[in-house]
Amino acid sequence: MQSPDRGPARRPWSSRRSALAALVGGGALLVLLSALLGSVPIPLVPGLEILLHQISGGLLVPDPCAVLPPHAPSCATLTVIVWEIYLPEVVLALLVGAALGVSGAALQGVFRNPLADPFLLGISSGGTLGAAVLYVFHFEEARADLFLPLFAFVGAVATGLLILAVARGRYGSVETLLLTGVAIANLLTAVLALVLLYNPFGGEQVTFWLLGGLGQADWEKDGIAFGALLILGTLVVLYGRELNLLQLGPDVAQSAGVDASRARLALILLASLTTAVAVAFTGVIGFVGLVSPHIVRRLAGSDYRVVLPGSAVVGAVFLVFARDVGYLAFPGSALPVGIFTAFAGVPFFLYLLYRQRRLAPMGAL
Amino acid sequence: MSPGADPPAPALELEGVSVRYGERIGLESFDLAVAPGEFLALCGPNGSGKTTLMRAALGFLSPERGRVRLFGHAVSELSIRERAHRVAWVPQEEPLREDVPLGEYVLYGRYAFHGPLDGPTEEERAQVEGLLSDVGLADRAHDGVLSLSGGERQRAILARALAQATPLLLLDEPTAHLDIGHQLDLLDRVRALARTRRVTVVAALHDLNLAARFADRLVVLSRGRRVADGPPSEVLSEELLARVWGVSADLARDARTGVPYLVPHLLAPSPPRADSPFAGPIHVVGGGGAAAPILRRLTDAGYRVTTGALHLLDTDEEVAEALGLPSAIESPFAPLGAAARAQHERLLAAARVIVVAPFAVGPANLANLEDLRAHVGKTPTFLLRTPPLAARDFTEGRATRVYAELLGGGAREVDDLPALLAAIRAELERSGAGPGSATGPTG
Repeated sequence: MQSPDRGPARRPWSSRRSALAALVGGGALLVLLSALLGSVPIPLVPGLEILLHQISGGLLVPDPCAVLPPHAPSCATLTVIVWEIYLPEVVLALLVGAALGVSGAALQGVFRNPLADPFLLGISSGGTLGAAVLYVFHFEEARADLFLPLFAFVGAVATGLLILAVARGRYGSVETLLLTGVAIANLLTAVLALVLLYNPFGGEQVTFWLLGGLGQADWEKDGIAFGALLILGTLVVLYGRELNLLQLGPDVAQSAGVDASRARLALILLASLTTAVAVAFTGVIGFVGLVSPHIVRRLAGSDYRVVLPGSAVVGAVFLVFARDVGYLAFPGSALPVGIFTAFAGVPFFLYLLYRQRRLAPMGAL
Repeated sequence: MSPGADPPAPALELEGVSVRYGERIGLESFDLAVAPGEFLALCGPNGSGKTTLMRAALGFLSPERGRVRLFGHAVSELSIRERAHRVAWVPQEEPLREDVPLGEYVLYGRYAFHGPLDGPTEEERAQVEGLLSDVGLADRAHDGVLSLSGGERQRAILARALAQATPLLLLDEPTAHLDIGHQLDLLDRVRALARTRRVTVVAALHDLNLAARFADRLVVLSRGRRVADGPPSEVLSEELLARVWGVSADLARDARTGVPYLVPHLLAPSPPRADSPFAGPIHVVGGGGAAAPILRRLTDAGYRVTTGALHLLDTDEEVAEALGLPSAIESPFAPLGAAARAQHERLLAAARVIVVAPFAVGPANLANLEDLRAHVGKTPTFLLRTPPLAARDFTEGRATRVYAELLGGGAREVDDLPALLAAIRAELERSGAGPGSATGPTG
């Protein structure tokens, strides 16, 4: 993929390396601080000590609960909150954000449309419906953590293929593509609400599935999401060269040696699967996939070999930020994170929509 | 660079290739062999099959019938990657939407040389630098492609295609969006690069003069068929231009190079006012392309023109439709039926002047001449006599007899288009007692 020397067009490697170091350091700090944010306030110093003790397996920082006898009972509680609830939530936010970011970048590339996003195209809703069906019927008692993504796969892939068919069809302009996606998303949301509300135990789940929440996070879900996304994400990122050429149109791409239809199909399937993994554990979270690739393009250029992994990183950070903003703005609450991604994403979407009128017309497939 | 190509195999070979888009013909039993090293220009009106030919060569479409071969290998049996090693493509325009640096963009052309994990080598980067200086963009390697001007962009696309290092290069109207200076510059570079790299070039070119100037060989297509093929100096003629494009033009020859060039006739000033004596329509009887230059010239001169009775899809019919002329139409190849003849009769009755183009007369359109017998006495009628009717009478002499009747009835013969125009003007000035030549067309 990326060789270290990408030509003199790039900034010198040393400055890129320090930028990378700053990014990793900043990211680690963000994760740690975010893990102290939640519906219950955690004091900064003991909280950090607990985190570092747990993360390092007791090597780096001695057990704060042992050296702080006066706080003993609350210290154990704090440990449970930080280690068993907040940190898994933050890690899930990172993973889901990365998944949505990389799916968004892949979809924008495939549809050659800067407004493509798994949420706006209905793929998130499809995946969520699949997972929610499983959840409502209480299959989750039988190792549902693994089955949630599998059911989400079905819903997301079906929606993704439908969108591809629309894009390829006679009416496959940008407008029809987006409007079809929005229509499908609304239909699926209605079906989802029906399934959830008709079920006597489902009512309380509606907000979670429809607005996206991180509240179901635990280490097991994190592990499954990590494993699935590592594989899917790597596969998506390997399509950077094909996406670069597909931007020049399927014919040019094919004349240069890209099997355009196969690459497009593979990318839509992979993006749908990646989205499914994300929404299976969180419900519908919008706009992460829309915003992230644009930020990467602005920072690092339009080469998809950079945009794809970059969108995963930015998406991860974006979703953690959205979670933090929710807790900071409404202390003591546990509001769905999808509310806050929408607050950031919708103005951005409108900006892109109106800016696009000044650019060259964007084609569908 | 061609893997395993036998030296004598043509770079591109089409054998009996037919392509249809529903009812429309893309290519019809098309044969073509392009020798390695040739610079071949494809010319023809819009929809004549140039782009279809290229798309077949690139494997973008599979012909209904026939075979397409690249250096002896059937295109359909080559993988997409193998094709990319043999043929590269410069499209009319490329939607550059991502602002990648030019050097990286040109490296995209190296796609087929790499797997998913290995990046471009130092050698390839050096090649790209060389390519960029060949197309005159050496100092722009680090600029984003969106900052390039139209001419630079087209050269960048050329560099990207050349980076594929293929022995065959296809260009589809590469100069369509360029001004004349950049057109010459681009084709000059293509030709020079093709010579130094021994690349075979097949270019679809709208501009016949550019094609004549740069190509070794000119292939003219019309409605999916090859209608002319050879060195530009042999292929280009006024007759060809009228027949294929329906354009009247003068053929001249560059005094220094001997390259032929065409000077199309200029459009005339505004059409005559509806109340002027010149407003009455001139009806042209034609068929098979014989009327096309007359229709074009009379319309250019500002006359209102009608035509008939023509067969659908006939060259004259297409020209008439392109010019928006009222015409009487019959289905292809059918004898002129009652409806078409009645329609034709109305047009003949309305005409102030009737012109009979030197069309080939067969049983299917003999009625066109026969129906004139009722009009020659009433309406001034001009018969074009070159080429002579003897050469275009396919009715066992019946047409010749009718023709003689027309001459006997008052029709006059004229030699050629200029003579026809003069005769029409004289006729209208004589008969129109109105304001005379002040409002008359000058063409």
